[in-house]
Amino acid sequence: MRGWIIIALTTALLVGSAPDLAAQESGIAVGTRAPVVAVNDLDGKPVDLGQYIGKRPVFLEFWATWCEQCEALLPRLRAAQAAYGSQVEFFGVNVTVNQSPERVRKYLQEHEPGFRPLYDDQGTSIRAFQVPATSYVVILDRTGKVAYTGSGGSQEFDGVLRKVIRN
Amino acid sequence: MRSSTLTLLVAMLVAGGVAPAAVAQNSSGTVRAILQSGPDVGQRAPDFSLPWANRDGVGPIESPYQLASDRGKTVVVAFYPRDFTKGCTAQMRTFAEQYDSLFGPDVVLVAISTDSVETHGRFAKSLGLPYRLLSDPEQRVSKQYASKDPEGYNRRTVYVVGPDGRVKFRNMKFNALDPKDYSELRQAVRNSTRES
Repeated sequence: MRGWIIIALTTALLVGSAPDLAAQESGIAVGTRAPVVAVNDLDGKPVDLGQYIGKRPVFLEFWATWCEQCEALLPRLRAAQAAYGSQVEFFGVNVTVNQSPERVRKYLQEHEPGFRPLYDDQGTSIRAFQVPATSYVVILDRTGKVAYTGSGGSQEFDGVLRKVIRN
Repeated sequence: MRSSTLTLLVAMLVAGGVAPAAVAQNSSGTVRAILQSGPDVGQRAPDFSLPWANRDGVGPIESPYQLASDRGKTVVVAFYPRDFTKGCTAQMRTFAEQYDSLFGPDVVLVAISTDSVETHGRFAKSLGLPYRLLSDPEQRVSKQYASKDPEGYNRRTVYVVGPDGRVKFRNMKFNALDPKDYSELRQAVRNSTRES
């Protein structure tokens, strides 16, 4: 009997470990509470996201200047900020890989994405949100729970934003 | 009964391609397992030979890349899931554009996925990759290096193999977007080249 318990336990461990391995590219789960972290801005000053998370809806996009999907997403991003900017905090977290603050500043001047730029040179939020790719968007409701995640240049998040504002 | 149970247990672990390094239980009763295999730091890196492509095209079929042929140099072996995907593009592009700062001219970098050499050739050309992409469709090598995921792709892992053929560093969950992972890799490469 004891032997079979050991076998069952081992099987559970092996099976249970697989999603972790497979999920290494998958990102934070919808419905979970968002981690509260501090991320540097372009001047190297830490911005405590805890000032916003759990207090009002938050929109985070993890991006880079070399990310084509991020650029494709810009029109939707600008439209969302025009519609909901007074009710949702919009942050653009630069992933800093193959980036420099100067390069990012130049891009922001040229493209005017509108969000508040952050520069995660410590990787704090990238690890905390398990960011799998650039153009990754995370939307948090006002209680700090993850309401949406997605990536790519053609994401539709208008409905989610309306919902997190309403609730 | 007890010995047969243990035999079965070991057989299951071996069949799963993993060796248990540690099994822990936290205070809430949740069982956590740390299951890792592949050559650890200090162990000899298993030799392998695989066909390759780079930005100039597919390498000669009669001249596959062989790890042992670079004995005496530091070799970075990077396993990654798939060509043309977002995370892999970010990683491979960063490796290429930051090559001097991350690796330096005397270090050999090879990156391994399950893609064919033809796909590798297109991917390498599209990004101008100066290093070789190795094709391991049967995941023979990725299994040896504990970099095979259950879905038929490679996990994103990085090994630094020193001039003596032994593993100097490994990251079994390399994050293509985490600057800390690149910093640690850079330092590991420096430490390895300093030893030579």
